[in-house]
Amino acid sequence: MQMNYTGEHVWAGATGHFFIILSFTAAILSAGSYCMAARESLQEDAWKKLGRLAFRIHSLAVAGIMATLFVMLKNHFFEYQYVWQHSNLAMPAKYIFSCFWEGQEGSFLLWTFWHVVLGNILIRYAGNWEAPVMTVFSLVQIFLASMLLGIYFGSVHIGSNPFLLMRQLPENIGLPWTKLTDYLQKIPLFQDGRGLNPLLQNYWMTIHPPTLFLGFASTLVPFAYAIAGLWKGKLSEWQKPALPWTFFGIMILGTGILMGGAWAYEALTFGGFWAWDPVENASLVPWLTFVGAGHVMLVNKNRNISLFSTFFLTIITFILVLYSTFLTRSGILGNSSVHAFTDLGMSGQLMLYLLFFVWMSVCLILINKRLRIGYTILSACLLLIGIFTGAKTASVFSFALLSILALGTGYHYYFPKEEKEEALWSREFWMFIGAIVLGIASFQIILYTSIPVLNKIIQVNFIHHPVEVIHHKMQQWFNYNGLANFASGKLAPEKNAIGFYNKWQSVFAFVVSFLVAFGQYLKYKDTPFREFSKKLIWPFFVSLVLAILIGYGIPRTGSLQFFLNELLLFSCLFAILANLDYFRRIGKWKIGKSGASIAHIGFGLILLGCLISNAEKEIISQNSGMDLKYIDKELSNSNNILLTQGDTLKMGSYYLTFTGRKKEGIYIYFNVEYLKKQEDGKYVSSFVLKPFVQLNDRMGNVAEPATKHFAYKDIYTHVKFAELDVPDDINGQDYTIPVAKTMARFDTAYSSNGMLILDSLTTHFSHKKYGLPDSVPAVQANLRAIDINKKTYAAQPVFAIIDNKVHSVDDTIKALGLKLNFWNVDPAKGKISIYLSERKSNKRDFIVMEAMIFPWINVLWIGCLVMITGTILAIRDRLKKLKKSVVTD
Amino acid sequence: MKRTHIVGIIIIALAIGMIMTSLVSTSKYASFTEASKSPDSDFHVVGKWDKEKGTVYDPQQNANLFVFYMTDIEGVEKKVLLHNNKPQDFEKSEQVVVVGKMKDGEFQASETLVKCPSKYNDNKPVQ
Repeated sequence: MQMNYTGEHVWAGATGHFFIILSFTAAILSAGSYCMAARESLQEDAWKKLGRLAFRIHSLAVAGIMATLFVMLKNHFFEYQYVWQHSNLAMPAKYIFSCFWEGQEGSFLLWTFWHVVLGNILIRYAGNWEAPVMTVFSLVQIFLASMLLGIYFGSVHIGSNPFLLMRQLPENIGLPWTKLTDYLQKIPLFQDGRGLNPLLQNYWMTIHPPTLFLGFASTLVPFAYAIAGLWKGKLSEWQKPALPWTFFGIMILGTGILMGGAWAYEALTFGGFWAWDPVENASLVPWLTFVGAGHVMLVNKNRNISLFSTFFLTIITFILVLYSTFLTRSGILGNSSVHAFTDLGMSGQLMLYLLFFVWMSVCLILINKRLRIGYTILSACLLLIGIFTGAKTASVFSFALLSILALGTGYHYYFPKEEKEEALWSREFWMFIGAIVLGIASFQIILYTSIPVLNKIIQVNFIHHPVEVIHHKMQQWFNYNGLANFASGKLAPEKNAIGFYNKWQSVFAFVVSFLVAFGQYLKYKDTPFREFSKKLIWPFFVSLVLAILIGYGIPRTGSLQFFLNELLLFSCLFAILANLDYFRRIGKWKIGKSGASIAHIGFGLILLGCLISNAEKEIISQNSGMDLKYIDKELSNSNNILLTQGDTLKMGSYYLTFTGRKKEGIYIYFNVEYLKKQEDGKYVSSFVLKPFVQLNDRMGNVAEPATKHFAYKDIYTHVKFAELDVPDDINGQDYTIPVAKTMARFDTAYSSNGMLILDSLTTHFSHKKYGLPDSVPAVQANLRAIDINKKTYAAQPVFAIIDNKVHSVDDTIKALGLKLNFWNVDPAKGKISIYLSERKSNKRDFIVMEAMIFPWINVLWIGCLVMITGTILAIRDRLKKLKKSVVTD
Repeated sequence: MKRTHIVGIIIIALAIGMIMTSLVSTSKYASFTEASKSPDSDFHVVGKWDKEKGTVYDPQQNANLFVFYMTDIEGVEKKVLLHNNKPQDFEKSEQVVVVGKMKDGEFQASETLVKCPSKYNDNKPVQ
């Protein structure tokens, strides 16, 4: 039955659907035509033209999808699930971009968009490479576009469509409300959306994702060139045009990652800029291999060796980007990451794409046609086995093994190998070593990050496997080798995972920074050892002395003087100084020609900043009063401290006071004042920090730290706990629920702001003053209150009995906000009972907070800027050279 | 022996070392019962907070102690002492992962991971 719903903006969804289908089909057409164009000889221009046209249509369609989604978000069409789920009316308009890419569909769109931009640039400039390169681009676009299709085959669906109406969602179909034609008006939930995750309501979130995705997208360019090179049999020519793109990608991806770090540092509660969170790792790993790829390309360009490594690293970078997407978007990291996405049911699809591109790359690396066919047939068999027998992991594993085997075969038979070994002191040898170290470093990170994947594999395939015997046997073997946790499929990340990563990665960082220091001094082919060691002697000794002075000369609280850190400190300084010296002596301070040196200086500075700010991080909020070590020596985790309003506590060289909270809209700001003690004992305010909590009922409240930046240190302050549902009338005149106090003469009772003493009881007092007849039996209590400043106040509540009923006359001490109700006398024990209530404002507000000092963290940020600048300069230089070579060709 | 062979051997050694250190992790997802069997090692226990027993957090006394009761997947309930601040929004938790050791029938935790109702995936506007 066709129903007419009122108030729905059906046209928007229809437009969106249309563009999705268009972008998908145009991508297929483009891939097909470009493929034909690449196969034919160059005279056949028609295919190429058709491919171009199709890609342009695809580009327009992608732009159309994005525009439609923006219009829907802007105009709050809450009948659409994407709009309802990711935005709301209250949100400031500037976060519309964050809403756009909060969901998976939006972030896939962003990724697609950058591919479209890069693809169009390539159409213009790729020249002869256009057809094969654009074939790869279009292929990737087919897959990405299909992520938005949202086609259902029973329970299996391909893609997730952002233009679905709420009532069209499979889980909502058939629900009673979908049968109301005026559901939009009737159901209050549709009046407003759920809103944006509070974590993403931050300005970094408007620039970090686009930069990061441009970085991811730019890994496709060298990949496409590499594939094109293999396909067309031009095994080394592809690198020339791919090289500037590679460094462009390295720069953008690096910037994106660092922006993520800056966001984490500023807005997240990691307590630092890098926490080895799986999502962070997933973007760092392809960057490392990308850097490796760029550098072996340089080697290959100059010496025509390491050809296989250029292919391997370029391809693996793109594959790792896909794997990262799978890791963060399949929901598999659910338990181990703060910001992994939940499953949209597309992990199978992502996995298939990943396998497809692995297959394509490996197949092409097998230069021989027969081998290619053989490999393809075997892969196809495994795919079928995987799909139809349910032994998915087994077949994926076999496929991985097969692919490694095929890679080895390809390398062995079809890639040129140097007859003579390259000289020990040659640039190519050490650059190659550097690339390998980067590869190993990324392997360590990705392996440890993939633990949840390993668990899943073990659980699915062995624990619940019908053939228990196999598992039993395996477990015995694993137990024997200390791998019991792994075998049980319940491997958990180490408690101190950050330390674990740091330890491994410091070793790699040491090697890499050392290579960065002397790499440029080496010549290609061979360098006389004496010649280059003479040039390096000064930077070497200066940095050694500096490292010893910094590490051991100044008394340190942190871990900088630990051997490994000390080594790393030395190698970072060496990298910086050696490159600076190179810039001076060989580069002659010519900025335009010294991009590499500058970028390397920046890299050294980044590592140095990371090292110092981490190793010498000082938690000044450590709780000195309580020592938890008696419970367990590992439990000295007392980084949080209670700060009560008005109190002043010493932390580090500061005195902290919490001066109160202020509510502004959905934000509660906590004013923490940092004071310095002067010589005369007076406290002077240094600065005020306002960490805050963003209230969000539906998605949970989010606390954001506040940081004071100095040139040489940052002070980070974070509210770990505060009572958020404090009533608004905390400053009002209301009283708390009375507390009963039983007192004999001279007993004391405590209020939150002083103490009460019962001085005496008397029956001789003026009844009239209390409005009581003289005949009534009554007792007056003489209470004395003393506040913290030893000031005394008096109160005289009265207890009387009129007609056998208790009649109390309360007294208050206004200055202390106390109300006293005298309600019982126990003559036998000589005790009286008093109800004590306090004004609500007497209860002092408090926060539990953490404060840390990050010394010299600015070195890190300066390093980022220097590295980015250096890379831009190097790319510019390359492009100039490329142009020249084109002209001379 | 060629130099590349030496490099190759070093790489393989490193790779094996990394795989082993990653897989011989000191921690594991476990139940309370399993954790009590080896009180010296750390465990990750996944479970649910027992709402009826409430929580104790008195920052005035100790800002780094938060106590609650948790039922693990096997249905065993234990007292958990978290030696850290009370996680903000703890009451809204759907699932709690505690990291620490079992001691004298109580779980001494140094970290928790509180999973609140999904921030990304809740499409049911009308029950």
